[in-house]
Amino acid sequence: MSHLITAAGICKEFHVGSSTLKILENIDLSLHRGEFIAIMGPSGSGKTTLLYTLGCLERPSSGSYLLDGVNIIAATDNELSHIRANSIGFIFQTFNLLPGLNVYENIEAPFLYRSLDDSRINGRIMDSIAQVGLLERIRHKPSELSGGEMQRVAIARAICADPLLVLADEPTGNLDSHTGMEILKIFKKLHDNGSTIILITHDREVASVADRIVYLRDGKLINNATEQ
Amino acid sequence: MQLNSKLFKVITLAVKSLLQHKLRATLSILGVVCGVAAVLSMLSVGEGAKRESLSQIEQLGTRNIYVKSIPLTEMQERKSRAKLSQGLTLYDAQRIKNGCRDVQDVAGLRELKASVFGAAKDVTPLIVSCTPNYAPLLKIPIGNGRFISDQDMQESKLICVIGHTVANSMGVSGSIGNYLRIENSLFKIVGVLRRIESKVEKSGAISLRNYNDMVFIPHTAASLVNRAASVFGGTIASPEVTELIVGVSTVQQVLKSVPAVKRTLEITHGGADDYQIVVPQELLNQSRKIQRTFNIVLGSIAFISLLVGGIGIMNIMLATVSERTKEIGIRRAFGATYLDIIIQFLAESTILTFTGGIIGIVIGFGGVWLISAIVKWNTAITMLSLVLPLLTSILVGIFFGLYPAYAAAKMDPIAALRYE
Repeated sequence: MSHLITAAGICKEFHVGSSTLKILENIDLSLHRGEFIAIMGPSGSGKTTLLYTLGCLERPSSGSYLLDGVNIIAATDNELSHIRANSIGFIFQTFNLLPGLNVYENIEAPFLYRSLDDSRINGRIMDSIAQVGLLERIRHKPSELSGGEMQRVAIARAICADPLLVLADEPTGNLDSHTGMEILKIFKKLHDNGSTIILITHDREVASVADRIVYLRDGKLINNATEQ
Repeated sequence: MQLNSKLFKVITLAVKSLLQHKLRATLSILGVVCGVAAVLSMLSVGEGAKRESLSQIEQLGTRNIYVKSIPLTEMQERKSRAKLSQGLTLYDAQRIKNGCRDVQDVAGLRELKASVFGAAKDVTPLIVSCTPNYAPLLKIPIGNGRFISDQDMQESKLICVIGHTVANSMGVSGSIGNYLRIENSLFKIVGVLRRIESKVEKSGAISLRNYNDMVFIPHTAASLVNRAASVFGGTIASPEVTELIVGVSTVQQVLKSVPAVKRTLEITHGGADDYQIVVPQELLNQSRKIQRTFNIVLGSIAFISLLVGGIGIMNIMLATVSERTKEIGIRRAFGATYLDIIIQFLAESTILTFTGGIIGIVIGFGGVWLISAIVKWNTAITMLSLVLPLLTSILVGIFFGLYPAYAAAKMDPIAALRYE
């Protein structure tokens, strides 16, 4: 199976005054197409920074990163935007829905930046809404939805364009355990349908749905082994 | 997404974002509304004034030079006589015609204070005696009959040409062949003027006459109107006139002919200041100069009001950008480029000012109507007075929205996503 992600020696540093903060140190990570991995680690270990780096929102300070064969380090800002729009789907802990737009419009919003034929957009949106079971809430605004429903909208928005990679940052972190389990079922279903997923979590139970768990501590990858 | 549907989507999104804060959006465009309404009103008033003054000046004839006698006090008259000046006369007309190269013709006119019998009471005709070339020189249109002829002049015939209003007021007897009594003499009507749309108004140093209310008689017949001699102190068959109209061959030669006319009159009047020269073309140039100054003042006022409006828009847009930091982060995560973010916020600021422009134009229309109705000023709404403020409002939106849009686009997407 070919590698979708090949990251080698990735470092991320921030300069605060005269001091340098090392957030990520020599991260080597490879991911096959259709693979589902969970990244675990304590707060401040660099999980979100790693996720944003893999999601082309953040540029690594050093190292190499190939996403589907594209050298991300050498890509321009516009190329990174294009990759984010067409190849990556983000799911955030706080859902990050646009409050003025309804369910349909929130899912439609990223298509403004995607190179997709207009005639296919509506079908894609309706399919993704059906996939997360929110057809009856299509005209509701985020303020009229529960936490679980908002996260389902966020998932629909992320998977709608059929991205190469789905990145989820603590997707169940703001939900009760029952709703969290429902969201995990959706992730499982997505994985079963062939989506490549990277999920960040504190929760071992949530991480257990992944094929592989990766541990981060102080910006370093500790264990890259498959857990049962 | 295709370009046209993307543009439609951007506009729809911008409108939706603005509608989320209706009051804020309304307050923010007030400056632009006032600015555009002010520009439209002022442009319309300026255009109305320009057209009015131009039509008045054109009525005087841009190829003509006017020489008017000045009413003198007793002291001034004594001084004038001491210099052997006879006042403005038809002799002056003859000398100007003979002495100035480009002068084609000179007509003379004298206002007479005399009573007309037979016209309706509400019509008070102005009786003037003039030379036969007066009507052709001023292009006064004859409706029926003819104007005063050279023969009428030579034979001092008791004939008259009456204005349209005078003829109407006389009813059946106001037609050709009937007689009009002026003081104690009966004048045969030989011509009736066509109705002329004109206003009796002062235009600088010269007043426009309403030909509809006038009665023209041959200059040589003026002495038969009894009161004329007593009012103007003239003698029987006096060549004295109150106004000379000097017709120049071409418009280009008018200003060049003025010094020659001046010189001739200085000689014949012995340097007495008992006349004044008025050149409609100079008035026209003066009017254009005033219009230019007015336009500069207008432009400055418009610029200041729109500047203030634009600053208000920038202020609101900066607040909006700050408030929507999280949204900017989310959109960047979805793949929005710098340009996408700039376009989104520019669309909002431009829609704001464009809406302000439209409302301003509607209010401006109301303002123009009120000015015409209450102050009775002439106004004219031109395409320029509609397009210019609207276009300016759009440019204000783009110019003052550019910095907030740039500030939004240059935000770090990660920091924007983490913003609470």
